[in-house]
Amino acid sequence: MHNPPMIPRRRLALVAAAAALIGCGSADDTRPARWSFISATIIEPSCATVNCHSKIADRAGVDLHDRATGYNNLTSRNFVVPMNPNSSALLYLLHGEGALRMPPDAPLPEADIALIEEWISLGAMND
Amino acid sequence: MRRLLLCLLVAGAGTFGFARAASAYPQFQFSSGTNKCSQCHYVPSGGGLLSSWGRSEAGDTISMAGNGAFLHGAVTLPSWLALGMDLRLAGTRTEDGGQESPQSAVFPMQWDFYVRAAFTESFSLMVEGGLRGEVRPEDDALGARFTPTPERFISREHYFMWRPSATGPYARLGRFYAPYGIRFVEHIYFVRRYTGYELYNETYNLSGGYVSDQWELHLTAFTPPPSSFPDALQSVGARESGGAGYFEYRIGDMAALAPQVRIGVGKEVSRYQGGLVGKLWVEKAKLLFLGEADFIRQQVSAANYGQNQFVSYLGATLFPIQGIMLGGAYERFQENLAVKGTGRNAFLGQLNVFPYAHTELVFLFRYLIVGDTGQPAATLGMIQLHYYL
Repeated sequence: MHNPPMIPRRRLALVAAAAALIGCGSADDTRPARWSFISATIIEPSCATVNCHSKIADRAGVDLHDRATGYNNLTSRNFVVPMNPNSSALLYLLHGEGALRMPPDAPLPEADIALIEEWISLGAMND
Repeated sequence: MRRLLLCLLVAGAGTFGFARAASAYPQFQFSSGTNKCSQCHYVPSGGGLLSSWGRSEAGDTISMAGNGAFLHGAVTLPSWLALGMDLRLAGTRTEDGGQESPQSAVFPMQWDFYVRAAFTESFSLMVEGGLRGEVRPEDDALGARFTPTPERFISREHYFMWRPSATGPYARLGRFYAPYGIRFVEHIYFVRRYTGYELYNETYNLSGGYVSDQWELHLTAFTPPPSSFPDALQSVGARESGGAGYFEYRIGDMAALAPQVRIGVGKEVSRYQGGLVGKLWVEKAKLLFLGEADFIRQQVSAANYGQNQFVSYLGATLFPIQGIMLGGAYERFQENLAVKGTGRNAFLGQLNVFPYAHTELVFLFRYLIVGDTGQPAATLGMIQLHYYL
């Protein structure tokens, strides 16, 4: 029977410090799966940047600069299909599956993508 | 005179180029022998067009050789007039784990033109204009990336300023960034991107303050451009109105501490943020440390939800010989302090080479770790060629 390898206390402290640095917060995502929240805190800061999906750049005809415009752009062109994440192109773009990953310079955290997926599953309301 | 006209034409053509952030190098505070940004810039809080003293420093202290004066000293402008231009070409390579990764691009990043006219000893007008750059244009042909289009024209900065002397009180009215935080040239830094200072986030402001040798204070009331304004005067990012304050206390010519606060109130989202900036110059080692940490309370009224965020930067810059600036930094952004997996960590390396006055080569590398659930890391490599008039 093997005993687990002993980890020096100093190394353990370093590992704990690094873990604390890289991942804070609890595992439970209490954020609301609502478009008003997702648009303001995830989509606009990450996607509506000046040369991408801002009002003045409007790349690929997609403007995500505010809640109403972003909602219309995503739901009217099948980027988001209510209650059907598998048919929602937005999720494939965010995962970089079959297309250029969005946002191209800084992928979204998986927790954010999961929240968007939950919103789509719940009916993708403009709530 | 003919030469001057030619230069003005060339500079005027710059307004049909590609704009980026106004140049500011906080790394030169203390390290270049100047203890405050306004010694080299017309603006009391730093950034933007260089004063004649700043141009001399750029040639004599920053670059390996050459004359930092306007047009390399070939033309002397009247004292009431200052002109400037920034041109940057860039090449990038990004790898983000997507199926189409890696991606490469070569593009004009910035082409800005600046005019400053002083009416009296105290009053001046500054106007900047340029075109927005496009990393990935609709037309992927390289020629299309250099084709100027009027739709991309934008003026990020235009303001009147009252500043009776180099130190003492001042006031500014117009469009610019409200003084807050470390104003890096590179807008990808988290402390710019997530605090309301992303590219083209400039607001309309009434700003004022006081600059002395030992301390400076900048207070600003800001509001976004009205929706009725044309695109050339619009900004991007959260549409917030509010106020910002930045107080910097310097300890000799080697260190500074700066508490800061910013409140931005929007229709559905508001942000309340505060933080601290620290700067330390170690002369013997030719090493400058810069740090910033901000706590942000974001309130989304429509969703009846508030979240706490944290953003920070810690970097060191080495100046081994004149004309070389070598830096490394770590950044952290926690989108929601209560939710695991919403953090971003970045490690940055940067080499700036100033081989001759008015020219700069930038090599930048960023390794980004997103979340902590096995999400692939993203890397960015970038080369910039920068020329300023």
